Amino acid sequence: MDNTSSTSANANEYLTFTLGDEEYGIDILKVQEIRGYDTVTRIANTPAFIKGVINLRGVIVPIIDLRIKFNLGEPTYDAFTVVIILNIGKRVMGIVVDSVSDVIRLDSADLRPAPEFGAALDTRYLLGLGTLENRMIIVVDIEGLMTSQEMALVEAAP
Amino acid sequence: MSIDMTQFYQVFFEETSEHLATMETLLLGLDVEHPALDDLNAIFRAAHSIKGGSGTFGFSDMTEVTHILETLLDRLRKQELPLRAEMVDAFLAAGDVLRAQLAHHQGGPAVDAAEVAEVCGRLQRLADDDATGDGPAAPAADGTPIRQLRLRCVVPEAVLATPRNVDHLLAALEELAAVRIEHRPAPGDGRLDLVMTTDQSDAALRDALAFYVAPEAIELTEDGGAAPTGQVEQDAAWGLFDEDPGYGFFDVPTPVDAAAEDYGLFAEAAGAPGRHGGDDGAADAGFGLFADAPGAPPAATSPAADATPPSPVATPVPAHGAMGRRLSDNPSVEVAPAGRRDTDKTVVAANTESSIRVSVEKVDQIINLVGELVITQAMLAEAAAGLDPARADKLLSGIELLARNTRDMQEAVMSIRMLPMSMVFSRFPRVVRDLAGKLGKQVELRTVGENTELDKGLIEKIADPLTHLVRNSLDHGIETPERRVAAGKPPKGTLTLKASHQGGNIVIEVIDDGAGLNRARLLDKARERGLPAHDGMSDHEVWQLIFAPGFSTAEKVTDLSGRGVGMDVVKRNIEGLGGRVELESSPGWGTRTVIRLPLTLAILDGMSVAVGEDTYILPITSVVESLQPNAADVRTLAGEARVVHIRGDYLPVISLAEVFGQETGIAPERGIVVVVEVDDGRAALLVDALLGQHQVVIKSLEDNYRKVPGVSGATIMGDGRVALILDVAAVARLGLERDRQHRLAA
Repeated sequence: MDNTSSTSANANEYLTFTLGDEEYGIDILKVQEIRGYDTVTRIANTPAFIKGVINLRGVIVPIIDLRIKFNLGEPTYDAFTVVIILNIGKRVMGIVVDSVSDVIRLDSADLRPAPEFGAALDTRYLLGLGTLENRMIIVVDIEGLMTSQEMALVEAAP
Repeated sequence: MSIDMTQFYQVFFEETSEHLATMETLLLGLDVEHPALDDLNAIFRAAHSIKGGSGTFGFSDMTEVTHILETLLDRLRKQELPLRAEMVDAFLAAGDVLRAQLAHHQGGPAVDAAEVAEVCGRLQRLADDDATGDGPAAPAADGTPIRQLRLRCVVPEAVLATPRNVDHLLAALEELAAVRIEHRPAPGDGRLDLVMTTDQSDAALRDALAFYVAPEAIELTEDGGAAPTGQVEQDAAWGLFDEDPGYGFFDVPTPVDAAAEDYGLFAEAAGAPGRHGGDDGAADAGFGLFADAPGAPPAATSPAADATPPSPVATPVPAHGAMGRRLSDNPSVEVAPAGRRDTDKTVVAANTESSIRVSVEKVDQIINLVGELVITQAMLAEAAAGLDPARADKLLSGIELLARNTRDMQEAVMSIRMLPMSMVFSRFPRVVRDLAGKLGKQVELRTVGENTELDKGLIEKIADPLTHLVRNSLDHGIETPERRVAAGKPPKGTLTLKASHQGGNIVIEVIDDGAGLNRARLLDKARERGLPAHDGMSDHEVWQLIFAPGFSTAEKVTDLSGRGVGMDVVKRNIEGLGGRVELESSPGWGTRTVIRLPLTLAILDGMSVAVGEDTYILPITSVVESLQPNAADVRTLAGEARVVHIRGDYLPVISLAEVFGQETGIAPERGIVVVVEVDDGRAALLVDALLGQHQVVIKSLEDNYRKVPGVSGATIMGDGRVALILDVAAVARLGLERDRQHRLAA
């Protein structure tokens, strides 16, 4: 992906969203669209964070609730729950988040490495921690995360 | 002229495979004793087109093979040689070599050079054979005798500017005559000097070169000094065109009306065998790749059909044509050939326009979009169902119309993907011929219903299983001639391939009149292999045994079949396509294998069932019946597993709720059991309720997600929600596995 229209070569734009009390950022170029939460069709015998699949204009798209995946409180589904539709490689998938807040520009030099904290989120998929007006933005390598083994979204490579 | 040729490669590949297929079909249909001249010509044309195309694209290996092939074919169609069975074999072998070479150019494995040399040698020997002169060499009855002629002319510099033109020019001549070149024209020195042996009239020869050299500029003499007799006046007629720049018609803008006027005159002349043949020969050599479109009716491009040997009537015709044009006393006379060329072109163009090549992806995209449209329409219809018909009558009738139009459109679009079964059947004459020869059996292949249409995806996938069944029938089914005679049957066995529509299904049958399956031997073999088998099994159950993995009753393993990898694969493949295989057999009378397939892979007839809050789709093809069982019919087995008693059979009850991880399933006596066909029998799926039956558009889950056990795909229901389509056999396996684990845990 090239950074078109960026002021500095190392600045990327990130879409930030909240999960519980935390604020996350993902590369905006991976985002296809943002939509409200719709009823999903459950898929049996899958981990709880895979909510199921929806019909996105004729395409079957799996929906993952990151709040469940990251153990961030009791997920609620209401009129404000948001699904971010991502384009990961050739795949389309959706993640459920509490709300989408902003599009921000962060210089990669401003990203601080995340400490090892062995939590639900493997630090492998953390690009770093950014700061914006005293808010901490957890910048996630969404592509790496969504295609990881533990998400079980993609068939294991043969 | 630097055109990027690679963009035409694909066209060449496709056309060449079509030509090869045509050649093979024609060869197999040839009556060796009395070959139809039309067929020989058509085969020659196919070979010639391949040669032209491969030459143009620089695939010289293919050009070499086709050249030798063409030489022999040429002699055959000119009736210089009688057709023999070994020639047909050699032609078929050459076709195989060409196909391999073609595959190689498309990125396949390299071709065995020894094989190529062997085939070429074989063809060459056959072509040289007639030196002994036993063939009905000269078609003496037909007038123009074979003569040796010397041809001299100067090829215009404009023609020589494109080097390939010389090749085309010579090729055009070689179609009509055996040519020995004395001097080959080259830029700077346009002299062409050659000696040829031909049975063609001078006019035909001049005509063949008409694209390159003005006929009157060609000097033709009988080699050995004798003046060409009987051609003089005609030559004189052509001589009238001495000042005529007309043959350079590429330079002269053709007045449309003038061309049109000559059109009629030409229409007559076009029927003249010798002339038309010659002209087309030239056109063919020059434009073989593009102009000789597949599917062009033989009548339009039959260089050969009429080229041999020019009848006495035919010879004067060019003169007649020329005269006619002179009589018209029209300045446009000169451009007459252009008009003629145009007629040829229009015929060809009309044909290419009646069909277009479109990539499958584009078609699939349309199908997807129409699928969306169908879903949207269903959503609209559902939303409008609540409206007051009195107040919204216009809207409602509009929605009804939309429903009808979408349905029609869906059908029309689906039909784009449909191909006739003959696409598959056409490979079997060759398979049967080769196999029967190898096995020393006499087999007649009959095909019925070749025009039955089937989805392209299915056509591609059904070919292998069918080939397997055909091989099986030939190897194990049909007996040797001696045995057949001993059994009171005609020595020649019959293998029938039949395709037909039955309801929403395609039914393909492979029927042989061979020995049939041997019940006793099947049972023995099954016991030997430790399969559950007993003498009380019904015939149907016994026949099912041969679908067990690794099962083979062949006494000896041949290279054709008998290794026992086969019928189980056939069965699995066909089930993978959503179809079913059945087998019927009666000893001494033969075997009938019936394959049932859905019409298409994109749409499925489904039964929607409710399980808890979820909706699932069961493919109708696997549903046998559904019923509400009496409490008394549901029993437990070993305390845990449940069976239901239906029409004398005890079927395992598989609760979909349990398989799909819902806490509590419905009690069998309150729900509905759907009896389905699974791998090796039946099972009863327990669901809460039946919701309805509909055609559903199959969507892939794997595009964006992954394969889910027990689920074959997904679809979008009328309300826009996604429903999963179940793979019934996998669900049954999951259910039984679950029960087993339960029991182990208990």
